Amino acid sequence: MAQIFKLTLRQLLGRWRVLLIVFLASLPTLIVLLVKWQNPWEAKFDQDFVQVMIDAMIIGGIMPIVTMTVASAAFGNELEDRTLYYLILKPISRVQIALAKVAATFVLTAPVVVAGGVVATALVGADAGAVVTVGIALLAGVAAYASIFTWAGLITPRALSYGLVYVLVWEGLLSTFLTGIRYLSVRGYTLSLLHGIDATNFESLEDRVIAFPAAIIGAVGVALVFFFLTQYRLRTMDVP
Amino acid sequence: MTDASPAVISVESISKWYGSVVAVNDVSFEIQPGITGLLGPNGAGKTTLLKMIEGLSDPSDGTVTIFGQTPRGNPDLYSRVGIMSEHEAVYGFYTGREFVEFSARLHGVTDVSEAADIAIERAGMAEAQGRKLGGYSRGMRQRMRLAAAMVHRPEVLILDEPLNGTDPRQRIEFHDLMRHLASEGKTVLVSSHILEEVETLADRILLMVSGKLAASGDYRAIRAKLDEQPYTVRVVSDSPRAMASALVEMEGIESVSMAEDGEVVVLSKNVEVLQRSVARVASERGIRLLRVEPLDESLESVFSYIVEG
Repeated sequence: MAQIFKLTLRQLLGRWRVLLIVFLASLPTLIVLLVKWQNPWEAKFDQDFVQVMIDAMIIGGIMPIVTMTVASAAFGNELEDRTLYYLILKPISRVQIALAKVAATFVLTAPVVVAGGVVATALVGADAGAVVTVGIALLAGVAAYASIFTWAGLITPRALSYGLVYVLVWEGLLSTFLTGIRYLSVRGYTLSLLHGIDATNFESLEDRVIAFPAAIIGAVGVALVFFFLTQYRLRTMDVP
Repeated sequence: MTDASPAVISVESISKWYGSVVAVNDVSFEIQPGITGLLGPNGAGKTTLLKMIEGLSDPSDGTVTIFGQTPRGNPDLYSRVGIMSEHEAVYGFYTGREFVEFSARLHGVTDVSEAADIAIERAGMAEAQGRKLGGYSRGMRQRMRLAAAMVHRPEVLILDEPLNGTDPRQRIEFHDLMRHLASEGKTVLVSSHILEEVETLADRILLMVSGKLAASGDYRAIRAKLDEQPYTVRVVSDSPRAMASALVEMEGIESVSMAEDGEVVVLSKNVEVLQRSVARVASERGIRLLRVEPLDESLESVFSYIVEG
Protein backbone atom coordinates (compact mmCIF):
# COMPACT_ATOMS: atom_id res chain seq x y z
CA MET A 1 0.00 0.00 0.00
CA ALA A 2 2.91 2.32 0.76
CA GLN A 3 4.02 2.06 -2.88
CA ILE A 4 0.65 3.22 -4.20
CA PHE A 5 0.49 5.94 -1.57
CA LYS A 6 3.88 7.29 -2.65
CA LEU A 7 3.01 6.94 -6.32
CA THR A 8 -0.21 8.89 -5.81
CA LEU A 9 1.61 11.68 -3.98
CA ARG A 10 3.99 12.02 -6.94
CA GLN A 11 1.09 12.00 -9.37
CA LEU A 12 -0.81 14.65 -7.45
CA LEU A 13 2.12 16.96 -6.83
CA GLY A 14 1.87 18.62 -10.21
CA ARG A 15 3.12 22.18 -10.18
CA TRP A 16 -0.12 23.86 -11.26
CA ARG A 17 -2.29 21.82 -8.94
CA VAL A 18 -0.06 22.61 -5.96
CA LEU A 19 0.04 26.30 -6.84
CA LEU A 20 -3.74 26.40 -7.18
CA ILE A 21 -4.53 24.70 -3.89
CA VAL A 22 -1.94 26.71 -1.98
CA PHE A 23 -3.32 29.91 -3.47
CA LEU A 24 -6.91 28.99 -2.63
CA ALA A 25 -6.04 27.89 0.88
CA SER A 26 -4.06 31.10 1.45
CA LEU A 27 -6.93 33.37 0.45
CA PRO A 28 -8.39 33.73 4.00
CA THR A 29 -4.96 34.61 5.36
CA LEU A 30 -4.33 37.10 2.56
CA ILE A 31 -7.73 38.72 3.15
CA VAL A 32 -7.12 38.94 6.90
CA LEU A 33 -3.72 40.51 6.30
CA LEU A 34 -5.26 42.98 3.86
CA VAL A 35 -7.97 43.94 6.35
CA LYS A 36 -5.40 44.27 9.15
CA TRP A 37 -3.38 46.58 6.96
CA GLN A 38 -6.31 48.72 5.78
CA ASN A 39 -8.58 48.69 8.86
CA PRO A 40 -6.73 47.07 11.79
CA TRP A 41 -9.68 47.44 14.18
CA GLU A 42 -11.92 45.30 11.94
CA ALA A 43 -9.56 42.30 11.89
CA LYS A 44 -10.83 40.60 15.03
CA PHE A 45 -12.28 37.25 15.95
CA ASP A 46 -16.00 37.82 16.27
CA GLN A 47 -19.19 36.19 15.02
CA ASP A 48 -19.00 38.05 11.73
CA PHE A 49 -15.61 36.44 11.14
CA VAL A 50 -17.09 33.04 12.04
CA GLN A 51 -20.01 33.41 9.66
CA VAL A 52 -18.30 35.08 6.74
CA MET A 53 -14.77 33.77 6.80
CA ILE A 54 -14.98 30.36 8.49
CA ASP A 55 -18.45 29.23 7.46
CA ALA A 56 -19.00 30.77 4.02
CA MET A 57 -15.48 31.07 2.70
CA ILE A 58 -13.36 28.34 4.26
CA ILE A 59 -15.85 25.57 5.02
CA GLY A 60 -18.36 26.42 2.31
CA GLY A 61 -15.89 27.08 -0.48
CA ILE A 62 -12.17 26.59 -0.03
CA MET A 63 -12.21 23.29 1.83
CA PRO A 64 -14.43 21.40 -0.65
CA ILE A 65 -12.87 22.96 -3.75
CA VAL A 66 -9.28 22.34 -2.69
CA THR A 67 -10.07 18.77 -1.64
CA MET A 68 -12.01 18.18 -4.85
CA THR A 69 -9.14 19.47 -7.00
CA VAL A 70 -6.79 16.93 -5.50
CA ALA A 71 -9.06 13.97 -4.75
CA SER A 72 -10.80 13.83 -8.11
CA ALA A 73 -7.38 13.44 -9.75
CA ALA A 74 -6.30 10.54 -7.53
CA PHE A 75 -8.00 8.04 -9.83
CA GLY A 76 -8.99 10.52 -12.52
CA ASN A 77 -5.42 10.89 -13.75
CA GLU A 78 -4.92 7.12 -13.84
CA LEU A 79 -8.09 6.68 -15.87
CA GLU A 80 -7.21 9.48 -18.24
CA ASP A 81 -3.65 8.20 -18.75
CA ARG A 82 -4.83 4.57 -18.81
CA THR A 83 -2.34 3.56 -16.16
CA LEU A 84 -4.85 2.21 -13.65
CA TYR A 85 -4.27 -1.33 -14.85
CA TYR A 86 -0.72 -1.22 -13.46
CA LEU A 87 -2.34 -1.21 -10.02
CA ILE A 88 -5.33 -3.41 -10.75
CA LEU A 89 -3.27 -6.23 -12.24
CA LYS A 90 -1.29 -6.75 -9.07
CA PRO A 91 -1.95 -9.12 -6.20
CA ILE A 92 -3.26 -6.31 -4.02
CA SER A 93 -6.75 -6.02 -2.57
CA ARG A 94 -8.92 -3.27 -3.94
CA VAL A 95 -9.39 -2.00 -0.38
CA GLN A 96 -5.65 -1.32 -0.17
CA ILE A 97 -5.63 0.53 -3.49
CA ALA A 98 -8.59 2.69 -2.45
CA LEU A 99 -7.11 3.33 0.98
CA ALA A 100 -3.76 4.41 -0.47
CA LYS A 101 -5.48 6.83 -2.86
CA VAL A 102 -7.73 8.40 -0.20
CA ALA A 103 -4.85 8.58 2.28
CA ALA A 104 -2.58 10.32 -0.23
CA THR A 105 -5.34 12.80 -1.04
CA PHE A 106 -5.90 13.49 2.65
CA VAL A 107 -2.21 13.86 3.45
CA LEU A 108 -1.75 16.32 0.61
CA THR A 109 -4.91 18.34 1.18
CA ALA A 110 -5.40 18.44 4.93
CA PRO A 111 -2.24 20.37 5.87
CA VAL A 112 -2.95 23.01 3.22
CA VAL A 113 -6.61 23.50 4.15
CA VAL A 114 -6.03 23.31 7.91
CA ALA A 115 -3.06 25.66 7.77
CA GLY A 116 -5.08 28.16 5.75
CA GLY A 117 -7.97 28.12 8.23
CA VAL A 118 -5.90 28.00 11.37
CA VAL A 119 -3.52 30.80 10.39
CA ALA A 120 -6.36 33.09 9.37
CA THR A 121 -8.20 32.38 12.63
CA ALA A 122 -5.08 32.94 14.70
CA LEU A 123 -4.26 36.18 12.92
CA VAL A 124 -7.54 37.76 14.01
CA GLY A 125 -6.71 37.05 17.64
CA ALA A 126 -8.84 33.99 18.33
CA ASP A 127 -7.91 32.06 21.45
CA ALA A 128 -6.03 28.80 21.22
CA GLY A 129 -9.19 26.77 21.81
CA ALA A 130 -10.94 28.31 18.81
CA VAL A 131 -7.90 27.84 16.61
CA VAL A 132 -7.57 24.16 17.56
CA THR A 133 -11.30 23.68 17.06
CA VAL A 134 -11.08 25.10 13.55
CA GLY A 135 -8.19 22.71 12.82
CA ILE A 136 -10.08 19.64 14.08
CA ALA A 137 -13.27 20.51 12.20
CA LEU A 138 -11.39 21.12 8.97
CA LEU A 139 -9.55 17.81 9.32
CA ALA A 140 -12.89 16.01 9.60
CA GLY A 141 -14.34 17.91 6.66
CA VAL A 142 -11.34 17.20 4.44
CA ALA A 143 -11.48 13.49 5.33
CA ALA A 144 -15.14 13.27 4.30
CA TYR A 145 -14.63 15.25 1.10
CA ALA A 146 -11.49 13.28 0.22
CA SER A 147 -13.51 10.09 0.30
CA ILE A 148 -16.39 11.58 -1.73
CA PHE A 149 -14.24 13.12 -4.46
CA THR A 150 -11.84 10.18 -4.76
CA TRP A 151 -14.88 8.06 -5.57
CA ALA A 152 -16.21 10.73 -7.94
CA GLY A 153 -12.91 10.75 -9.84
CA LEU A 154 -13.23 7.02 -10.31
CA ILE A 155 -16.76 7.00 -11.67
CA THR A 156 -16.71 9.99 -14.01
CA PRO A 157 -14.17 11.97 -15.99
CA ARG A 158 -16.26 15.06 -15.18
CA ALA A 159 -15.80 14.84 -11.44
CA LEU A 160 -14.64 18.45 -11.22
CA SER A 161 -17.69 19.83 -13.02
CA TYR A 162 -20.20 17.72 -11.13
CA GLY A 163 -18.29 18.35 -7.92
CA LEU A 164 -18.50 22.09 -8.37
CA VAL A 165 -22.27 21.90 -8.89
CA TYR A 166 -22.57 19.71 -5.81
CA VAL A 167 -20.48 22.10 -3.70
CA LEU A 168 -22.35 25.21 -4.85
CA VAL A 169 -25.89 23.84 -4.90
CA TRP A 170 -26.03 21.13 -2.25
CA GLU A 171 -23.39 22.22 0.21
CA GLY A 172 -23.62 25.95 -0.47
CA LEU A 173 -27.25 26.72 -1.15
CA LEU A 174 -29.44 23.89 0.08
CA SER A 175 -27.60 23.09 3.29
CA THR A 176 -27.81 26.78 4.23
CA PHE A 177 -31.55 27.11 3.85
CA LEU A 178 -32.97 23.61 4.34
CA THR A 179 -32.51 22.19 7.83
CA GLY A 180 -32.89 18.55 6.78
CA ILE A 181 -30.05 18.80 4.25
CA ARG A 182 -27.60 19.47 7.08
CA TYR A 183 -27.85 15.83 8.08
CA LEU A 184 -26.52 14.93 4.65
CA SER A 185 -24.01 17.73 4.23
CA VAL A 186 -20.30 17.73 4.96
CA ARG A 187 -20.52 21.46 5.52
CA GLY A 188 -23.29 20.81 8.07
CA TYR A 189 -21.11 18.22 9.85
CA THR A 190 -18.08 20.52 9.89
CA LEU A 191 -20.02 23.48 11.31
CA SER A 192 -21.66 21.19 13.86
CA LEU A 193 -18.24 19.94 14.98
CA LEU A 194 -17.07 23.53 15.43
CA HIS A 195 -20.11 24.39 17.50
CA GLY A 196 -20.14 21.07 19.34
CA ILE A 197 -16.52 21.41 20.49
CA ASP A 198 -16.62 25.14 21.29
CA ALA A 199 -20.13 26.55 21.54
CA THR A 200 -18.90 29.82 23.04
CA ASN A 201 -16.54 30.92 20.30
CA PHE A 202 -18.85 29.66 17.56
CA GLU A 203 -22.22 30.57 19.07
CA SER A 204 -23.49 32.23 15.89
CA LEU A 205 -23.53 28.83 14.20
CA GLU A 206 -26.28 27.63 16.54
CA ASP A 207 -28.99 27.95 13.91
CA ARG A 208 -26.90 26.13 11.31
CA VAL A 209 -25.93 22.95 13.12
CA ILE A 210 -27.18 19.47 13.91
CA ALA A 211 -26.53 17.49 17.10
CA PHE A 212 -22.84 16.98 17.84
CA PRO A 213 -23.01 13.12 17.90
CA ALA A 214 -24.99 13.17 14.65
CA ALA A 215 -22.25 15.30 13.07
CA ILE A 216 -19.53 12.87 14.16
CA ILE A 217 -21.51 9.88 12.89
CA GLY A 218 -22.34 11.74 9.69
CA ALA A 219 -18.73 12.70 8.90
CA VAL A 220 -17.39 9.24 9.69
CA GLY A 221 -20.30 7.62 7.86
CA VAL A 222 -19.78 9.65 4.68
CA ALA A 223 -16.06 8.86 4.68
CA LEU A 224 -16.73 5.14 5.15
CA VAL A 225 -19.63 4.88 2.70
CA PHE A 226 -17.73 6.55 -0.13
CA PHE A 227 -14.61 4.57 0.67
CA PHE A 228 -16.69 1.40 0.39
CA LEU A 229 -18.15 2.61 -2.91
CA THR A 230 -14.66 3.33 -4.23
CA GLN A 231 -13.29 -0.13 -3.52
CA TYR A 232 -16.52 -1.67 -4.82
CA ARG A 233 -16.18 0.28 -8.04
CA LEU A 234 -12.57 -0.90 -8.37
CA ARG A 235 -13.75 -4.50 -8.07
CA THR A 236 -16.59 -4.25 -10.55
CA MET A 237 -15.55 -1.71 -13.18
CA ASP A 238 -14.25 -2.48 -16.64
CA VAL A 239 -10.72 -1.12 -16.44
CA PRO A 240 -9.78 0.86 -19.57
CA MET B 1 3.83 -28.49 -26.37
CA THR B 2 0.91 -30.59 -27.43
CA ASP B 3 -2.73 -29.91 -26.76
CA ALA B 4 -2.65 -32.92 -24.44
CA SER B 5 -0.95 -30.75 -21.79
CA PRO B 6 -3.31 -29.47 -19.13
CA ALA B 7 -4.84 -26.14 -20.06
CA VAL B 8 -3.41 -23.15 -18.24
CA ILE B 9 -5.90 -20.69 -19.69
CA SER B 10 -9.37 -21.90 -20.49
CA VAL B 11 -11.91 -19.77 -22.36
CA GLU B 12 -15.38 -21.21 -22.73
CA SER B 13 -18.13 -19.73 -24.91
CA ILE B 14 -17.09 -16.22 -23.99
CA SER B 15 -18.89 -13.21 -25.41
CA LYS B 16 -18.77 -9.51 -24.77
CA TRP B 17 -21.19 -6.96 -26.06
CA TYR B 18 -21.62 -3.25 -25.52
CA GLY B 19 -25.26 -2.43 -26.16
CA SER B 20 -25.98 -3.77 -29.62
CA VAL B 21 -22.29 -4.04 -30.57
CA VAL B 22 -20.83 -7.52 -30.20
CA ALA B 23 -17.10 -7.23 -29.57
CA VAL B 24 -16.42 -10.92 -28.87
CA ASN B 25 -18.82 -13.61 -29.99
CA ASP B 26 -18.92 -17.08 -28.45
CA VAL B 27 -15.18 -17.78 -28.38
CA SER B 28 -13.78 -20.96 -26.84
CA PHE B 29 -10.22 -22.26 -26.65
CA GLU B 30 -7.62 -23.61 -24.28
CA ILE B 31 -4.03 -22.53 -23.97
CA GLN B 32 -1.22 -24.79 -22.84
CA PRO B 33 2.36 -23.93 -21.87
CA GLY B 34 4.38 -22.58 -24.79
CA ILE B 35 3.78 -19.58 -27.00
CA THR B 36 0.34 -18.89 -28.38
CA GLY B 37 -0.23 -16.07 -30.81
CA LEU B 38 -3.53 -14.22 -30.84
CA LEU B 39 -3.74 -12.83 -34.33
CA GLY B 40 -6.30 -10.60 -35.94
CA PRO B 41 -6.76 -7.23 -37.58
CA ASN B 42 -7.35 -4.09 -35.55
CA GLY B 43 -10.88 -4.14 -34.21
CA ALA B 44 -11.14 -7.93 -34.33
CA GLY B 45 -11.78 -8.13 -30.58
CA LYS B 46 -8.32 -9.27 -29.46
CA THR B 47 -7.91 -6.65 -26.76
CA THR B 48 -11.46 -7.12 -25.51
CA LEU B 49 -10.82 -10.85 -25.29
CA LEU B 50 -7.51 -10.32 -23.49
CA LYS B 51 -9.12 -7.94 -21.02
CA MET B 52 -11.60 -10.63 -20.08
CA ILE B 53 -8.81 -13.18 -19.72
CA GLU B 54 -6.88 -10.70 -17.59
CA GLY B 55 -9.87 -10.00 -15.37
CA LEU B 56 -10.06 -6.34 -16.35
CA SER B 57 -13.49 -6.78 -17.84
CA ASP B 58 -16.51 -8.98 -17.11
CA PRO B 59 -17.64 -11.29 -19.90
CA SER B 60 -21.23 -10.73 -20.95
CA ASP B 61 -21.47 -14.50 -21.25
CA GLY B 62 -19.18 -17.49 -20.82
CA THR B 63 -16.29 -18.18 -18.48
CA VAL B 64 -12.53 -17.66 -18.31
CA THR B 65 -10.17 -19.43 -15.98
CA ILE B 66 -6.42 -19.30 -15.43
CA PHE B 67 -5.07 -22.27 -13.46
CA GLY B 68 -8.71 -23.16 -12.86
CA GLN B 69 -9.46 -19.84 -11.17
CA THR B 70 -11.59 -16.97 -12.39
CA PRO B 71 -9.31 -13.93 -12.85
CA ARG B 72 -12.05 -11.36 -12.32
CA GLY B 73 -12.01 -10.12 -8.72
CA ASN B 74 -9.17 -12.47 -7.85
CA PRO B 75 -6.07 -10.29 -7.27
CA ASP B 76 -4.06 -13.13 -5.75
CA LEU B 77 -3.95 -14.79 -9.16
CA TYR B 78 -1.78 -11.95 -10.49
CA SER B 79 1.18 -13.22 -8.51
CA ARG B 80 1.29 -16.03 -11.12
CA VAL B 81 0.44 -13.90 -14.15
CA GLY B 82 2.34 -11.08 -15.84
CA ILE B 83 0.42 -8.74 -18.10
CA MET B 84 1.42 -6.08 -20.57
CA SER B 85 -1.53 -4.11 -21.86
CA GLU B 86 -1.78 -2.50 -25.30
CA HIS B 87 -1.81 0.94 -23.66
CA GLU B 88 1.70 2.26 -23.69
CA ALA B 89 1.23 4.95 -21.05
CA VAL B 90 3.71 4.82 -18.20
CA TYR B 91 4.50 6.88 -15.14
CA GLY B 92 6.80 9.30 -16.93
CA PHE B 93 8.38 10.59 -13.72
CA TYR B 94 9.80 7.15 -12.86
CA THR B 95 13.10 5.95 -14.21
CA GLY B 96 12.90 2.62 -16.00
CA ARG B 97 14.40 0.87 -13.01
CA GLU B 98 12.06 2.59 -10.53
CA PHE B 99 9.14 1.46 -12.66
CA VAL B 100 10.28 -2.17 -12.69
CA GLU B 101 11.03 -2.09 -8.95
CA PHE B 102 7.61 -0.54 -8.33
CA SER B 103 6.04 -3.47 -10.16
CA ALA B 104 8.18 -5.94 -8.21
CA ARG B 105 7.17 -4.45 -4.87
CA LEU B 106 3.48 -4.53 -5.75
CA HIS B 107 3.92 -8.18 -6.68
CA GLY B 108 5.44 -8.85 -3.28
CA VAL B 109 8.84 -9.85 -4.67
CA THR B 110 11.27 -10.34 -1.78
CA ASP B 111 14.57 -9.42 -3.42
CA VAL B 112 13.39 -6.45 -5.46
CA SER B 113 16.80 -5.31 -6.61
CA GLU B 114 17.90 -8.71 -7.90
CA ALA B 115 14.55 -9.35 -9.59
CA ALA B 116 14.71 -5.96 -11.29
CA ASP B 117 18.29 -6.61 -12.43
CA ILE B 118 17.27 -9.90 -14.05
CA ALA B 119 14.10 -8.57 -15.70
CA ILE B 120 15.79 -5.43 -17.04
CA GLU B 121 18.73 -7.45 -18.33
CA ARG B 122 16.39 -9.88 -20.06
CA ALA B 123 14.53 -7.01 -21.68
CA GLY B 124 17.84 -5.59 -22.88
CA MET B 125 17.37 -2.31 -21.06
CA ALA B 126 20.26 -2.36 -18.60
CA GLU B 127 21.96 0.66 -20.10
CA ALA B 128 18.88 2.88 -20.11
CA GLN B 129 17.45 1.83 -16.76
CA GLY B 130 18.48 5.05 -15.03
CA ARG B 131 16.67 7.32 -17.45
CA LYS B 132 13.15 8.67 -16.97
CA LEU B 133 10.45 6.70 -18.76
CA GLY B 134 9.08 9.95 -20.15
CA GLY B 135 12.23 10.32 -22.24
CA TYR B 136 12.21 6.79 -23.67
CA SER B 137 11.48 5.99 -27.27
CA ARG B 138 8.37 3.91 -27.91
CA GLY B 139 10.37 0.73 -28.34
CA MET B 140 12.33 1.31 -25.14
CA ARG B 141 9.14 1.95 -23.24
CA GLN B 142 7.70 -1.31 -24.54
CA ARG B 143 10.74 -3.25 -23.42
CA MET B 144 10.73 -1.69 -19.96
CA ARG B 145 7.03 -2.47 -19.64
CA LEU B 146 7.87 -6.02 -20.59
CA ALA B 147 10.52 -6.10 -17.86
CA ALA B 148 7.92 -4.86 -15.36
CA ALA B 149 5.46 -7.52 -16.50
CA MET B 150 7.91 -10.36 -15.92
CA VAL B 151 9.80 -9.05 -12.89
CA HIS B 152 7.97 -11.44 -10.54
CA ARG B 153 8.75 -14.45 -12.77
CA PRO B 154 5.14 -15.24 -13.64
CA GLU B 155 4.09 -18.63 -14.94
CA VAL B 156 1.81 -16.96 -17.47
CA LEU B 157 2.64 -13.91 -19.58
CA ILE B 158 -0.12 -12.11 -21.48
CA LEU B 159 1.22 -9.51 -23.89
CA ASP B 160 -1.05 -7.30 -25.96
CA GLU B 161 0.73 -6.00 -29.07
CA PRO B 162 4.14 -6.04 -27.32
CA LEU B 163 6.09 -5.37 -30.50
CA ASN B 164 4.46 -2.04 -31.29
CA GLY B 165 7.16 0.53 -31.79
CA THR B 166 10.07 -1.90 -31.68
CA ASP B 167 12.74 -2.11 -34.34
CA PRO B 168 13.78 -5.33 -36.15
CA ARG B 169 16.68 -6.03 -33.82
CA GLN B 170 14.45 -5.61 -30.78
CA ARG B 171 11.92 -7.96 -32.34
CA ILE B 172 14.53 -10.65 -32.75
CA GLU B 173 15.58 -10.21 -29.11
CA PHE B 174 11.96 -10.31 -28.08
CA HIS B 175 11.43 -13.56 -29.98
CA ASP B 176 14.50 -15.07 -28.34
CA LEU B 177 13.28 -14.04 -24.91
CA MET B 178 9.81 -15.47 -25.47
CA ARG B 179 11.27 -18.75 -26.72
CA HIS B 180 13.50 -18.89 -23.66
CA LEU B 181 10.50 -18.36 -21.38
CA ALA B 182 8.58 -21.03 -23.26
CA SER B 183 11.49 -23.44 -22.86
CA GLU B 184 11.21 -22.87 -19.10
CA GLY B 185 7.62 -24.15 -19.26
CA LYS B 186 5.94 -20.73 -19.11
CA THR B 187 2.71 -19.99 -20.90
CA VAL B 188 2.96 -16.99 -23.18
CA LEU B 189 0.00 -15.43 -24.98
CA VAL B 190 1.03 -12.74 -27.47
CA SER B 191 -1.41 -10.70 -29.52
CA SER B 192 -0.59 -8.98 -32.76
CA HIS B 193 -2.26 -7.73 -35.89
CA ILE B 194 0.78 -8.57 -37.98
CA LEU B 195 0.97 -12.14 -39.20
CA GLU B 196 4.73 -12.15 -39.69
CA GLU B 197 5.26 -11.12 -36.07
CA VAL B 198 3.40 -14.09 -34.76
CA GLU B 199 4.02 -16.85 -37.28
CA THR B 200 7.72 -17.17 -36.56
CA LEU B 201 7.18 -16.99 -32.83
CA ALA B 202 4.09 -18.89 -31.80
CA ASP B 203 3.65 -22.64 -31.49
CA ARG B 204 -0.04 -22.14 -31.99
CA ILE B 205 -2.13 -19.33 -33.42
CA LEU B 206 -5.62 -18.19 -32.54
CA LEU B 207 -7.03 -16.20 -35.41
CA MET B 208 -9.72 -13.68 -34.55
CA VAL B 209 -11.89 -11.85 -37.04
CA SER B 210 -14.88 -9.67 -36.23
CA GLY B 211 -15.10 -10.91 -32.67
CA LYS B 212 -15.05 -14.59 -33.64
CA LEU B 213 -12.36 -17.22 -33.50
CA ALA B 214 -11.86 -17.79 -37.21
CA ALA B 215 -9.17 -20.45 -36.97
CA SER B 216 -6.77 -21.96 -34.50
CA GLY B 217 -3.86 -24.33 -34.58
CA ASP B 218 -0.38 -24.64 -35.99
CA TYR B 219 0.71 -21.49 -37.79
CA ARG B 220 1.82 -23.41 -40.87
CA ALA B 221 -1.69 -24.71 -41.44
CA ILE B 222 -3.11 -21.24 -41.08
CA ARG B 223 -0.41 -19.75 -43.26
CA ALA B 224 -1.13 -22.33 -45.95
CA LYS B 225 -4.77 -21.36 -45.81
CA LEU B 226 -3.83 -17.71 -46.06
CA ASP B 227 -1.57 -18.43 -49.01
CA GLU B 228 -4.48 -19.86 -50.93
CA GLN B 229 -5.87 -16.38 -51.20
CA PRO B 230 -4.52 -14.12 -53.95
CA TYR B 231 -3.03 -10.81 -52.85
CA THR B 232 -3.75 -7.64 -54.78
CA VAL B 233 -0.69 -5.52 -55.49
CA ARG B 234 -0.46 -2.17 -57.27
CA VAL B 235 2.59 -1.57 -59.45
CA VAL B 236 3.33 2.01 -60.51
CA SER B 237 6.07 2.52 -63.11
CA ASP B 238 7.09 4.86 -65.92
CA SER B 239 6.00 2.22 -68.50
CA PRO B 240 2.79 0.62 -67.27
CA ARG B 241 2.02 -1.24 -70.50
CA ALA B 242 5.50 -2.79 -70.70
CA MET B 243 5.27 -3.67 -67.01
CA ALA B 244 1.86 -5.26 -67.46
CA SER B 245 3.00 -7.43 -70.37
CA ALA B 246 6.07 -8.52 -68.37
CA LEU B 247 3.94 -9.41 -65.38
CA VAL B 248 1.56 -11.52 -67.44
CA GLU B 249 4.47 -13.77 -68.37
CA MET B 250 5.52 -14.29 -64.76
CA GLU B 251 4.67 -17.40 -62.73
CA GLY B 252 2.12 -17.28 -59.94
CA ILE B 253 0.24 -14.35 -61.40
CA GLU B 254 -3.53 -14.83 -61.31
CA SER B 255 -4.41 -11.74 -63.31
CA VAL B 256 -3.09 -8.37 -64.43
CA SER B 257 -5.23 -5.35 -65.13
CA MET B 258 -4.60 -1.74 -66.04
CA ALA B 259 -6.33 1.02 -64.11
CA GLU B 260 -7.43 4.20 -65.90
CA ASP B 261 -4.63 6.20 -64.34
CA GLY B 262 -2.04 3.84 -65.83
CA GLU B 263 -1.38 1.87 -62.69
CA VAL B 264 -1.06 -1.90 -62.99
CA VAL B 265 -3.05 -4.03 -60.53
CA VAL B 266 -1.79 -7.57 -60.08
CA LEU B 267 -3.44 -10.54 -58.38
CA SER B 268 -0.90 -13.06 -57.12
CA LYS B 269 -0.96 -15.99 -54.73
CA ASN B 270 2.68 -15.64 -53.85
CA VAL B 271 3.36 -12.07 -52.86
CA GLU B 272 6.98 -12.72 -51.88
CA VAL B 273 7.85 -14.12 -55.32
CA LEU B 274 5.97 -11.26 -56.91
CA GLN B 275 7.96 -8.67 -54.96
CA ARG B 276 11.26 -10.21 -56.01
CA SER B 277 10.25 -10.78 -59.64
CA VAL B 278 8.83 -7.32 -60.24
CA ALA B 279 12.14 -5.70 -59.33
CA ARG B 280 14.11 -8.15 -61.46
CA VAL B 281 11.85 -7.82 -64.52
CA ALA B 282 11.81 -4.03 -64.26
CA SER B 283 15.57 -3.97 -64.09
CA GLU B 284 15.94 -6.34 -67.07
CA ARG B 285 13.55 -4.32 -69.24
CA GLY B 286 14.73 -0.88 -68.17
CA ILE B 287 11.45 0.05 -66.54
CA ARG B 288 11.61 2.53 -63.72
CA LEU B 289 9.57 1.32 -60.77
CA LEU B 290 7.89 4.12 -58.83
CA ARG B 291 5.84 2.17 -56.31
CA VAL B 292 4.92 -1.42 -55.47
CA GLU B 293 2.33 -1.75 -52.76
CA PRO B 294 -0.22 -4.28 -51.60
CA LEU B 295 -3.77 -3.01 -51.92
CA ASP B 296 -5.18 -5.37 -49.34
CA GLU B 297 -2.40 -5.64 -46.84
CA SER B 298 -4.84 -5.27 -43.98
CA LEU B 299 -5.38 -8.62 -42.38
CA GLU B 300 -9.10 -7.98 -42.46
CA SER B 301 -9.15 -8.63 -46.19
CA VAL B 302 -6.97 -11.69 -45.83
CA PHE B 303 -8.89 -13.08 -42.89
CA SER B 304 -12.22 -12.52 -44.54
CA TYR B 305 -11.14 -15.14 -47.01
CA ILE B 306 -10.67 -17.68 -44.27
CA VAL B 307 -13.90 -16.79 -42.52
CA GLU B 308 -15.94 -16.84 -45.67
CA GLY B 309 -14.11 -19.84 -46.99
